[in-house]
Amino acid sequence: MIEVRDLCKRFGAVDVLSELTLSVAQGTVAAVIGPSGGGKSTFLRCINGLESFERGEVRVGSDVLVWNGSPRERADRLRAIRRKVGFVFQQFNLFPHLDVIGNVSEAPLRVLGHARAAAEAEAVRLLDRVGLAEKKDAYPHELSGGQQQRVAIARALAMHPEVLLLDEPTSALDPVMAAEVMSVISELARAGQTMIVVTHQLGLVRAIADTVHVFAAGRRVEHGPTAAVFENPAHDTTRAFLRKLQAW
Amino acid sequence: MREKARLAMARKGLAALVLVTLVVALSLANPAHAEGRRLPVLTPGTLMWGGDQEGGGPYVYPADDDPRRVVGFEVELADELAHRLGLRAQFFQGQWDRMLDLLQARKCDIVLNGYEWMPARLERMEATIPYYVFGLQLLARDTGEVASWDDLRRPSAHGRRRVGVLAASAAEKYLEALSSDVDIVNYDGSTDAMREVETGKLDATLQDTPAATFYRSRFPALRAIGAPVGHGYYVIYARQGEKELVRRLNDALLGMILGGEIEKIDRAYGIWNDAQRELQDIARSGRFYDYPEVWNDRPATSDTRPQPAGDDGTSDRHVEVTARKHGLDVVRAYGGILLQSAGLTVVLSCLSFPLAVMAGLFIAMGRLYGPAWLKAPLTVYVEFLRGTPVMLQLYFIFFFLPEVGINVPAFWTAILGLSINYSAYESEIYRAGLSAVPKGQMEAALALGMSRPLALRRIIVPQAVRIVVPPVVNDFIALFKDTSVCSVVTLVELTKRFSVLSQSTQATTELMAMTAVLYLAMSYPLSLVSRRLELAAGRPVT
Repeated sequence: MIEVRDLCKRFGAVDVLSELTLSVAQGTVAAVIGPSGGGKSTFLRCINGLESFERGEVRVGSDVLVWNGSPRERADRLRAIRRKVGFVFQQFNLFPHLDVIGNVSEAPLRVLGHARAAAEAEAVRLLDRVGLAEKKDAYPHELSGGQQQRVAIARALAMHPEVLLLDEPTSALDPVMAAEVMSVISELARAGQTMIVVTHQLGLVRAIADTVHVFAAGRRVEHGPTAAVFENPAHDTTRAFLRKLQAW
Repeated sequence: MREKARLAMARKGLAALVLVTLVVALSLANPAHAEGRRLPVLTPGTLMWGGDQEGGGPYVYPADDDPRRVVGFEVELADELAHRLGLRAQFFQGQWDRMLDLLQARKCDIVLNGYEWMPARLERMEATIPYYVFGLQLLARDTGEVASWDDLRRPSAHGRRRVGVLAASAAEKYLEALSSDVDIVNYDGSTDAMREVETGKLDATLQDTPAATFYRSRFPALRAIGAPVGHGYYVIYARQGEKELVRRLNDALLGMILGGEIEKIDRAYGIWNDAQRELQDIARSGRFYDYPEVWNDRPATSDTRPQPAGDDGTSDRHVEVTARKHGLDVVRAYGGILLQSAGLTVVLSCLSFPLAVMAGLFIAMGRLYGPAWLKAPLTVYVEFLRGTPVMLQLYFIFFFLPEVGINVPAFWTAILGLSINYSAYESEIYRAGLSAVPKGQMEAALALGMSRPLALRRIIVPQAVRIVVPPVVNDFIALFKDTSVCSVVTLVELTKRFSVLSQSTQATTELMAMTAVLYLAMSYPLSLVSRRLELAAGRPVT
């Protein structure tokens, strides 16, 4: 479904990502964990082209993202990938000048060219799915953080992405709001949405992830089925990281 | 050896000191200088005389070889007068139609710059006897299209004839009698109007005879139409109450008239003519209007009025002289025309500002998101236009472009100049506004599959617009007041109209109040709109 091969990225002289390889099968959830500064978010942003990378490729279905060619070719490739890949930001990034239904229906209207009635009906359906149908006319600043993140998830789903990338979706939220968002993500996982989630919430990883990938210093130091990695971590970094988080 | 050298130097220094002391002592002993110090001048020993180089020759104008130095018949007159008063003449530059205000504001001791004798001015100022008798000469292109005053009154194929005059001058007042037949266009300098006649923007210009005579060779394409009309006197103005200064100036002028020095200077500039004999009549009769006390040691004749020269009935029209108006009379007399000029201010602002905002938005987007090759020229555009005065830009469009064949009418020059100038400012505001939209907004839009232009149009620009509302409205209010620079391209908007009226009527206080009220009436509603938009910006709107 989604395959990242030998991805390399540098900031100046620093290797941020070194030969990262990762694949996610359709309908499964991959969790990326590891200490801060290990390149998890950068990796996720590379997958939908918000960050450039020097070498390697990202393959989503039949579309391939490589960072070369003319600007126009690159822009075409980026748009093709982004149509298939949804992104949920840590800071939500809702559009403050649009109401909730506007946020969700904007891309279907303007990018896919859907009719307004259809786009808004679909938006209401998705808002209902994240439990916010009654907030459709509210503006982002009138919502709590948890509600904003759920709208952001609905906005990403409105493009019917083949893969949904979630970049620390609960880090900016207090535990109660984080729980709201996690239950929405769990529901998506049960429904078979392919996802890659970067998170520090080990409970969420246990509940939904089929595979776990441990990143440290720009490398994938360990990966495998969730239960296997959690019960029997092979790498020192993984052991130290899990111990630290579980100690809380 | 070294000792000797030091001694020699000391001796030389002593000699120099003695010499300087001697010179100073001698100059102090000079009776003329002693008297000069007693005169109530702003800077001791100096006669600060005001004029406008922009008015051009033969009055006061920059010397060809050194533009920092001024020459002209009035420069020579001032030098000689100052000398006779035991003072040193010092030229003071001011805008011509502001000259009398500058005098009131004590920026100079006297105004000596082709200012005609007018009773209304005597309420606020002292005047000397005349130093020149002038008429008004009509000039037109040497094509025969306008060959007489009658031709001028007949409209051309394009409408009424346009006649350029020096703003607030005697020529303007003279033409007001014809204002139902011709359009009067105001200029700050004589040569501007003559050039506009040459380039075809004007049909004719009415100039004081000295300017018309002096610049004849500079504008070979122009022709004098008929004999000079009207009849007036150039006098020197001093602040009210400076009777001693005026008495001394009159004595000096009298001496120069009777001694032939005035004639000598005038002949040098080619402006001496028969009409000047009247100066001698005035000097000999000892009377000029209400000045019997001026030289009462001389025998006065029964004739208290100066005899105009060349009295042939047609060219002897006296330049209109009206009494000064006060209070509500001023409002009644000039309220209408001020309101009309305020209308022009509104039209200029409301046409140029939307253009500036639109251009500014595109410039800002080009600089932030455009291709690399576009960024450098846009940066140069913004920096150049922000870094030079809008007045110069207007001047460039209006007075320079015609020289390369591009003739932009005054109104469109103003619209173009103001919108181009303000587009630079608006673009900087928009650049700040666009930069203030968080980076995550663009990322979220791109992640949803939007193209960059679509993301800008739908997501970034709408948010930037909300951020920039207060500074943009602020600029709009500023523009209302900045339209006053359009007077350099002869548009008489509110401020220029105020200047011109206050010069000719002396009712400055009343006119100032009316002008201020009009500007407030334009800007205050905008402030209210701005406040409402600011409130709305806090509350997002679809």
